[in-house]
Amino acid sequence: MRSVLQKLARQLVLVPLVAVASYFLMAMLPLTTESEAKRQVSPELAASYRRDLGIGEPLGFLRPWQKLWRGERLGTSAQGVTGDELARKLSGSVGVGLLALPLALTWALGFAMVRTRWRRGRWAALGDVVPALAFGTPVFIPALLLAPAVVERGNMLPELCAALVTSIWPGIFLGTLVGDSLETELSRDYVRTALGKGLAPGTVLRRHVLPNVLPALLDAVGPVATALLAGSFAAERVLGLPYFGQLYVLAVLNKQVAVVVVATTTFASLLVVVSLAVELTRYAVDPRSREARA
Amino acid sequence: MRRVPARATFGLILLVGLGALSLVAGRLFPDWLASTCPLGVDPTRPDRTVCELAFGGLWVSLAVGLCAGGLSTLIGLLVAAVARLVGGAWEQALLRGVDAVFALPDVLVVMVLQLAGQSLADAGHSGGLGPFGLMVASLALVGWAGPARMFRNRLATLEGQEFVAAARALGGGGTHVLRVHLWPALRPFALAVFLSRLPTAILTESTVSFFGIARMEPMSLGRYLGTSYAALIYEGGARVVLPAWALLVLLVLGASLASQALSASPRKAT
Repeated sequence: MRSVLQKLARQLVLVPLVAVASYFLMAMLPLTTESEAKRQVSPELAASYRRDLGIGEPLGFLRPWQKLWRGERLGTSAQGVTGDELARKLSGSVGVGLLALPLALTWALGFAMVRTRWRRGRWAALGDVVPALAFGTPVFIPALLLAPAVVERGNMLPELCAALVTSIWPGIFLGTLVGDSLETELSRDYVRTALGKGLAPGTVLRRHVLPNVLPALLDAVGPVATALLAGSFAAERVLGLPYFGQLYVLAVLNKQVAVVVVATTTFASLLVVVSLAVELTRYAVDPRSREARA
Repeated sequence: MRRVPARATFGLILLVGLGALSLVAGRLFPDWLASTCPLGVDPTRPDRTVCELAFGGLWVSLAVGLCAGGLSTLIGLLVAAVARLVGGAWEQALLRGVDAVFALPDVLVVMVLQLAGQSLADAGHSGGLGPFGLMVASLALVGWAGPARMFRNRLATLEGQEFVAAARALGGGGTHVLRVHLWPALRPFALAVFLSRLPTAILTESTVSFFGIARMEPMSLGRYLGTSYAALIYEGGARVVLPAWALLVLLVLGASLASQALSASPRKAT
């Protein structure tokens, strides 16, 4: 448990680092007020940005968080956000991510099984082509192809489609890892021994091989969760879902700098939570992780 | 004896072929491409054909990917070399920093860096970086952490080999061993890492440009799709989306085949 806490502490350092770095990056931005500049902001708006970020105030970097805590609107216009709205939008994105996770695991297990079967057959080349196809497809492309059919239907269909298109690449990525791990484990002596003693192949797979393969899956869940959340940004934008990704993109486009600071830090915190969940799961399901640290 | 694996050769040929095709079709002879394009004109830009925009976009995306991939590989290599040279607690601290950067999602950080860079450019402090340079710099600043980790691990493995121990026993210093003995063994791996960064950079650029945050001119593949996505949704845009998609997939297939084959090929410790 100590090592889990150590890892958590290392990850937690990321949150204040991101908060401070993003704050000072935004606070240093020159907001042009000259009329000839292409994307200028008015002097009133620039003053509002500075108030929003607490520039020139003691402990100004806490100002955006203070406003959120008090329930005030962060940002300089109707495109700003309150703490409640931020939580709602975040829960929407997390919901899409949670829908995408089982879909990604389904893609992963399916692809791993098929790839192991293809490995030495005439379809072996597909083991390379399918990951390239999945990785070479930015999330917005399948979203664009599906959007005409679903964007105005509602009834959670856009959310389901967002989860589907977001899950493809992470699923195939996980499948590639699991497939490689599966092949390594299937060639080991203990599998031959178990089969030689008369156990059915399905039982060997379930009882002996999968417990050794699943830690490889856990190693990749962290990056995959990041990919799912980041991928949902594009899907939300195309499918018109008013969640965290849409909020973030609009905040950047409209130079809502305080919203960018808060949203970036929130995203980093979310990654820490995912990382903690992965470590706790690993601690619970993988005895080797407990033994190695004892 | 074959020096380059067949898969790597195929991947490299695919990459070079796509680059040459986009240069010839998109930049040198755009009129010929416009007159022979079977996909017709773009629905939102009636003066341009889909082929012109797709191949023109491929050229820009490829150029961004090559420059950003190269720069991030170089930064990663420098960080890894410094980490191995200083060693001890400094190396561990450096690696913690690398891990922190690696944990952040590329798309998010590139968006923030684009916002910062564009605000500086609007205020006249761009430092000579146009939209292309700004995108390359943003992608390199985000993408160096992965290569740094990989190079550091590979260097640590190579340093455990006998020829390095012999060189050190004969009085070779850290930089001498790195330059004369480790770098030749690291070169194919560096090429593989560079090729693995190439698709990541291209896809990140495409996504950020698609959001309309980057102001890439001429348009990259992502910006091309992003500037007309509302029209694509409501008028049905498979005719426009599919060629751009196919080009991206071929690009990624070439880069990943070459990268995997080169990183899996037998390492020579010369």
